[in-house]
Amino acid sequence: MKRLFAVALGILTAIGGFVDIGDMVTNALVGSRFGLSLAWVVVTGVIGICVFAEMSGRVAAISGRPTFDLVRERLGPRVGFANLVASMAVTLLTFIAEIGGVALALELASSVNYLLWIPLAGFAVWLVLWRVKFSLMENVFGLLGLSLIVFAVAVWQLGPDWSTLWNDASRPSVPASEDAPTYFYYAVALFGAAMTPYEVFFFSSGGVEERWGPRDLTIMRTNVLVGFPLGGVLSVAIAASTALVFLPVGVQVDTLGQVGLPVAVSLGKVGLAVALIGFFAATFGAACETGLSVGYSISQYFGWQWGKYVRPREAARFHVVLLLATITGIAVLLTTVDPVKVTEYSVVFSAVALPLTYFPILIVANDPDYMGEKVNGRVANALGSVYLVLVLAAALAAIPLMILTKAGQ
Amino acid sequence: MIGESVPGRRYDAALHLLDRQIVDPDGRLVAKVDELELADRPDGRLVVTALLTGPGALGPRVGGRIGHWTVAIWRRLRSEPEPEPGRIDVADVVSIDSAVHVGRRRRAVGVDGLERWMHDNVVSRIPGAGHDPE
Repeated sequence: MKRLFAVALGILTAIGGFVDIGDMVTNALVGSRFGLSLAWVVVTGVIGICVFAEMSGRVAAISGRPTFDLVRERLGPRVGFANLVASMAVTLLTFIAEIGGVALALELASSVNYLLWIPLAGFAVWLVLWRVKFSLMENVFGLLGLSLIVFAVAVWQLGPDWSTLWNDASRPSVPASEDAPTYFYYAVALFGAAMTPYEVFFFSSGGVEERWGPRDLTIMRTNVLVGFPLGGVLSVAIAASTALVFLPVGVQVDTLGQVGLPVAVSLGKVGLAVALIGFFAATFGAACETGLSVGYSISQYFGWQWGKYVRPREAARFHVVLLLATITGIAVLLTTVDPVKVTEYSVVFSAVALPLTYFPILIVANDPDYMGEKVNGRVANALGSVYLVLVLAAALAAIPLMILTKAGQ
Repeated sequence: MIGESVPGRRYDAALHLLDRQIVDPDGRLVAKVDELELADRPDGRLVVTALLTGPGALGPRVGGRIGHWTVAIWRRLRSEPEPEPGRIDVADVVSIDSAVHVGRRRRAVGVDGLERWMHDNVVSRIPGAGHDPE
């Protein structure tokens, strides 16, 4: 019974934890402009994150070391450092976007300008990183994030023509109102949002925080293979809801408020309240995860003590990094840069950094020195290799497409 | 090769030691093996005598301008005129798996100057630094 509970809890937190500000904004925007014609990208991205999260979780459970602890050994200090700087920059950008998302969610709930909420939101995130136990943090925000299911209910309540929706999703084509480069620019953005690098940093380090061993492999796999796809369903539901409300009237989603509008239209105030709780939990949880990921990666490269399984004073450098990251995030947001714009750029730059994150995982998961008999099987390697090609293509296409389409305008 | 301290198995110094995490008996993370100290043996072979850690050891391996600056800044921050990188004698190594396990506690090894500085001057001044997460 206790084991069953652990599995259920893990799956639920994986669903809630999968969706963050990048997924919400990108899916809502894409839904409002392209309908469900890009849903295939979400499906592709979810399979990809499952493949690599399973690998990095397995590395953590078998070797007792998070994946990026091992990357420097196999790539060497030079390439490892370049890798660290690039993935760190992207994760920090995502962290900034998530804190901005928390503030925007609070603005929607309170009508107090988000800029006033930013210092408070940043402080609250830091406080959780400083004092709250890892498992409590994950469970509370993961479970609250499940309230985003309200988007699926909203789609159902809006009473769409299901066969048209299915046709759009299953026979993807560039809508008449858009050109091909823009379509593929948003394909890259969605792919980056689904496979955001911090998810695997966080997943493998979290495995070490929670002291996974070889016995936990089954639970870990269930969480990944059930939880992430259901998180992907939430993402598609968000896209479907904005497709139903905004696409016919030709309005593009630019704000977090618009993301929630379809829920308000179909389910009224109560629905909107639930959606706001979902926004808050998803962004706050992801802010904690990205903030920790910044600290994890830097500490793991240099060999510093990291983690929330020790008291803060025992991991002083790690906690100084968390503090500096939070201050940086607050400072950048207080320049009045639009958090939604930050989010849009963060998912595209995530796509650029994808190969740096996923190539080393594939190497380490194939290393018998760490993995013994639990090295990648044929399926994992075949999927891993295919995705490496996809990820490389997305990374190379991202910047040219961004310039060509003026960032999707 | 450090056959002296870990009998029964030969280790490739570059593959099994360099850049590996050093862990103390309590499971606390000490540092990375940033560089190795080697000595000539009479029979002409090289033997690992110590694990070197910290920016002073890592900088030269990163190389280029970044590596150069790392070492320069590290030298500036140290009080002694000719600072040496952190050094852990190979005799302290207990075992090697996905990490290098040493027999002495993190504090006793004493290779984490920056950690102590951050501890004394920043982290321990914030309320709650000594509490377990709740």
